[in-house]
Amino acid sequence: MQAMLAITRGIDRVNAFIGKAVIWLILLAVLVSAGNALSRKLFNLSSNAWLELQWYLFGAAFMGAAAYTLQQNEHIRIDVFYASRSRKTQHWIDLLGHIFFLLPFVVLMSWLLWPYTIQAFRSGQISTNAGGLIIWPARAILLAGFIMLTFQALAEIVKKIAVIRGELEDPHPFISAQEQALKEVEELAAEVQAKAAAEGKK
Amino acid sequence: MIELIAHNMAPIIFASLVLFLLIGYPVSFSLAANGLIFFVIGVWLAPYSNGEITLDWPLLGTMPQRLWGIISNETLLAIPFFTFMGIILERSGMAEDLLDTIGQLFGPIRGGLAFAVILVGELLAATTGVVAASVIAMGLISLPIMLRYGYDRRTATGVIAASGTLAQIIPPSLVLIVLADQLGRSVGDMYKGALFPGLILTGMYLGYVCMVAIFQPHKVPALPPEARTLGGGVTSLLVMLAIGVALSYGAHLWLYESWGANADILGATVGTIVVYFYALADRYLGLNLLSRLAQQVIMVLIPPLALIFLVLGTIFIGLATPTEGGAMGAVGAMVLAFSKGRFKFPVLQSALIATTRLSAFVMFVLIGARMFSLTFYGVNGHVWVEELLTGVPGGQMGFLLVVNLIIFVLGFFIDFFEIAFILVPLLIAPAQNLGIDLIWLGVIIGVNLQTSFLTPPFGFALFYLRSVAAKVPYLDKVTGKKMDGIKTGEIYKGAIPFIIIQVAMIIAVVFFPQMVMRYKGAVVDPSSIEIKVPTLQTLAPGGTTLGAPTLGAPNLGTPDASGGTVAPTLPGPKLGAPVINP
Repeated sequence: MQAMLAITRGIDRVNAFIGKAVIWLILLAVLVSAGNALSRKLFNLSSNAWLELQWYLFGAAFMGAAAYTLQQNEHIRIDVFYASRSRKTQHWIDLLGHIFFLLPFVVLMSWLLWPYTIQAFRSGQISTNAGGLIIWPARAILLAGFIMLTFQALAEIVKKIAVIRGELEDPHPFISAQEQALKEVEELAAEVQAKAAAEGKK
Repeated sequence: MIELIAHNMAPIIFASLVLFLLIGYPVSFSLAANGLIFFVIGVWLAPYSNGEITLDWPLLGTMPQRLWGIISNETLLAIPFFTFMGIILERSGMAEDLLDTIGQLFGPIRGGLAFAVILVGELLAATTGVVAASVIAMGLISLPIMLRYGYDRRTATGVIAASGTLAQIIPPSLVLIVLADQLGRSVGDMYKGALFPGLILTGMYLGYVCMVAIFQPHKVPALPPEARTLGGGVTSLLVMLAIGVALSYGAHLWLYESWGANADILGATVGTIVVYFYALADRYLGLNLLSRLAQQVIMVLIPPLALIFLVLGTIFIGLATPTEGGAMGAVGAMVLAFSKGRFKFPVLQSALIATTRLSAFVMFVLIGARMFSLTFYGVNGHVWVEELLTGVPGGQMGFLLVVNLIIFVLGFFIDFFEIAFILVPLLIAPAQNLGIDLIWLGVIIGVNLQTSFLTPPFGFALFYLRSVAAKVPYLDKVTGKKMDGIKTGEIYKGAIPFIIIQVAMIIAVVFFPQMVMRYKGAVVDPSSIEIKVPTLQTLAPGGTTLGAPTLGAPNLGTPDASGGTVAPTLPGPKLGAPVINP
């Protein structure tokens, strides 16, 4: 068990690193898209490569963050029933869900996306838009996202079993949508009040 | 038995989906799993179904293509862009500044603070589009002031919660983007369609406060003059307003020749910029021709108005796609936050983290929904839903009533993303069968989902307000008087008049589709034009010239029975009398 947990820690670290790094791609996508709009209007310049780049970047951001989002237990749930269960029942729901809902889907998608990506890579296929980007990197993004999710699903299963057996502390206690909102409210409220206090001193 | 199951796969899948989702496992993967499990069952049952089930293994191989469709969808880029823009603005302190200033401007009239809250709510809605941000800022800044000067508690909380929800229906709301995408319509059209209902709704809120101010003045008292720390000076504000309008009109006339119909928006931009820079000059060069109030109002109000123009203005006049508008808005928001000295690294990082998190879960709900729909359509589930919904008595009205009830009830429990990705695509075919315009349907659903933010006990606007309003008695900072905390029941009861307004608005949009259909504007939709060429039909020899009128080209060269005299008049009836079927 300990050896397996050590492996899950490795998976967690890799996915967390990627999940945290890809946030900057969103900023990049914003800048590329705004740049596209301006260059088209101001200089009458438009390039399909740049237009495609914006969704390549966004795709890389959300596919890259999906595994980390799973790790952080932040994929949205309908928690009317779930929230009222004991933590132990919630663990079992999660474990069975990981094994029977999540794992088959992500494995299947990885398996289907593999030839889809390889084929585009071998043929060097290029977007049908004039001057568009080469296609395989975007397919590889999809594939990579699902492979990361597969590993994360396996790690989550191992961790869940360890938590149920009492060998691991609950890494991400469930937070209901309302509690999550409350957390955000408190952060914002603190900010607003800090600002008001600063102005009061002036 | 097996045949019975094979014939009823669609209802079985739907029922089990509800069960899967209610267990509480993440929505995205429950949806995908539901699709996958029933795909396998469906392939096995296909031979028993008399061709009702069209699932086979090669069909599963189309999933990569469907994922490709999601990742390469440019419209969906607007989701992260507008989310990012909203979070940056939320942290820029714009809401606080607006509430302070506009509150002081309107404070001295009866119901003034409530008007200010609604107007600021609308401004925030048109920029940030985040319900939480508006409600929190109003709950923290305006609510204590309203209570201090004796506002009725229910009225005060109701106005705040309701104004916060305007972010859901007034463009650039995320709901409208997702609805447009799922209904297969352009986001720009959805924005145009939602604009008037959104403005009318704001007007109805204002009207309600007006009625309260007239008939129950003790509920919304005017603020005493000492509450206006910026001092008086409305006159100079009015003068500036008049100058601004005059300049805008002048610029409009001047620009009309080169820009045509877009000159009004551009003219207003010119007027606004001049007024803004004058106010800046007035303050920083010490001219002081304006009152402090006027300076402050102009300086606080214009940046968000400029941002609204940058985003919505460019989308409406066709300069930018909604995605580009979102990106430019996000850049504008960063500039605005930077100019206020509130654009720091941790702010940027936390905004990007929140945006990425939201994008990941929304896009995966969409991915799960695609897996689900592959199976559901494969067992002809869409036909089942279509028959169910078109079978509702009462035609269009019956359909809209049922759809609204379903969404209203679902809105109590589940997020709008799930409703939009699972339910909304299934409504397209029956709606089109009944001749319902999809933008109209989208706006109705949008107003309906907005209401779900206001309905106790799960309404998120109420929840946000509850968490920032004082729960226990507190000492007022200015008067030193002891104030009672706000009871949850007061917040719930305060929302009731506004829920009634919302429902009235849904009904109004249903019965007066004209306010949505304005989105079509002068653009002629070829599918809804009746071509009336009675004279030609009798004159034309055979069917050869019948095809010509639809092309719109004056068909001079054809050897027509009547010669060239009739043909040139053909484009006339086509363009001049577009009969638009709502």
